[in-house]
Amino acid sequence: MASYLAKRLGASILTAFLASILVFMLVRLVPGDVVAQMMGQAGGAEAEASLRAFFGLDQPIYMQYLIWIGNVLQGDLGTSWARGLPVSDMVGKAFMVTLEIGIVTLVVATLVGVPLGVIAAIYEGRPLDTIIQGFNLLGLAAPVFWVGLMLLVGVSSALSWSPPLRFVPPTRSLADNIAILVLPVASLALLQAAAYSQFVRQNVVSAMHQEYVRTAIAKGVPVRLIFFKHILRNVLVPIVTFMGLILIQILGGVVIIESLFALPGLGRLLLNAIETRDYPVVQGALLLVVVAAMVVNLVVDLAYRLIDPRLRTA
Amino acid sequence: MKAMTMTRNGRPSTLARIAREPGLVLGTILIVFLALVALFPGLFASQSPNAISVPDALQPPSAAHWFGTDDVGRDLYARVVYGARVTLSICAGSLLLSALMGGLLGLISGFFGGWVDQVLGRLIDVMLSFPPIILGVIITGVLGPATHNLILALSIVYLPVFFRIARAGAMSETGQTYVEAARSIGLSEGAILRRHVTRNVTPLILTQYMILFPLILQIQAALGFLGLGVQPPTPDWGAILEGGKDYILFAPWMSIFPGAAVLVTALALMLVGRGLQRRIDRR
Repeated sequence: MASYLAKRLGASILTAFLASILVFMLVRLVPGDVVAQMMGQAGGAEAEASLRAFFGLDQPIYMQYLIWIGNVLQGDLGTSWARGLPVSDMVGKAFMVTLEIGIVTLVVATLVGVPLGVIAAIYEGRPLDTIIQGFNLLGLAAPVFWVGLMLLVGVSSALSWSPPLRFVPPTRSLADNIAILVLPVASLALLQAAAYSQFVRQNVVSAMHQEYVRTAIAKGVPVRLIFFKHILRNVLVPIVTFMGLILIQILGGVVIIESLFALPGLGRLLLNAIETRDYPVVQGALLLVVVAAMVVNLVVDLAYRLIDPRLRTA
Repeated sequence: MKAMTMTRNGRPSTLARIAREPGLVLGTILIVFLALVALFPGLFASQSPNAISVPDALQPPSAAHWFGTDDVGRDLYARVVYGARVTLSICAGSLLLSALMGGLLGLISGFFGGWVDQVLGRLIDVMLSFPPIILGVIITGVLGPATHNLILALSIVYLPVFFRIARAGAMSETGQTYVEAARSIGLSEGAILRRHVTRNVTPLILTQYMILFPLILQIQAALGFLGLGVQPPTPDWGAILEGGKDYILFAPWMSIFPGAAVLVTALALMLVGRGLQRRIDRR
């Protein structure tokens, strides 16, 4: 287990390191840096050169990278070029918003999706199964942001209510925070619940057709017991793995939802930073996304090794 | 199986097979219809998608304008119909590029193994460390919103998936006896890869293409919605949705119909993709 962990961790760190190079290069690929944007039409060559030196853009690109990554390893993500604030603070604050949306969405999607999938599997081939599968298909096919728009229209015309426009953290007012998050979470959770339900249905159905289940039925084990002791236990491993996948998907989907509902999360920060060519913020935000996705994958991997003893020796 | 639905050779008749896969049939019919709309939009919409008529701005759906009009009075039905060509051709083309590049790299990686596989595998891992939509947002955001950048971004997003499928396929084919046989009769590695391995991996790639199509469509629409995709005035479903965003509470029809077009298309593609997947699994 320990050697496996070390190997996994090593591979993840290498990938994160390569990803950091990719991120760094990507934002510098295009002409038109922050200096060009600041100067606009006006300004002489001298002023431009001194601004470049100020931002460190006069250095060769590998030096820029080494300086940046050196600071990152010491926990310093640099200073925002557009806002003059420490990137760590900006990114950290935005990440908390995204994390809250992500976790609430995951909980809602799991609470809706898993039971739906189990019910569909139990009623396999019957009308209830067809209805749930129809819901799954619709949920998977509908664009997340469009669901958000439709919910906004529906809620505002039916209840003449629309969510507040300024984000309030849960620490200040839980009620206001919930009011703001209800629609974004609902639109994200619909898709993920559908994905979850479909996945769980598939797994439970295939577990129900296993030989050991037939044996248990033949032995006269009560159905309830078969379900909880045999089927659910075997389905738990894929369900946990899928949870990680869903969390990473939410991390992506949140970008659009944040911009639609004006939530100050990581996605919106990233979009704004790309627009203003604020490299340190883009790099910091992207690095955080990549590391977060990696941590999720790692945790999932370890979790299912704990659940399934067969994998521990591998 | 009832005797009536069997043909003489004992195989289920075409009709019986269709009855078993209603989703696949429905999906196929919808896709054929959508393809016709994309190819011949003029047959489906008589009005111009770009004709501005300010006095008619923001009209709700009516007999004259089935889907209503937008903020400058353009007919939304015509825009959605003409948008099918723009949106679907961008998605189909980008995904094809993705399948070709990812598939080729995956075949090479899986067939030759060794350091080639190590290097390519590592690169693909790095790409996979970004959530797909975020990869799309960075590429289009950094390079600037333009159709060719959108195509580039969309073709990169799912490249790792094709890579993995092709790599796994090539690896399992490489272990087969027929490859060994081909080698022993003196066929060159290149010829084995081209003639045998590729041929067996292609159906897997095609199925994956159908499975990813609805997902790439949603990413394309999302990037359009963020203003990072096709730029106005070109009619594109994502771009129409972007234009409707600010009017969502007074003119929801500007958002309802293009979004519904994405939904129906994605649904049709998913039905077909699933049907194909089931057939492959059964083999």
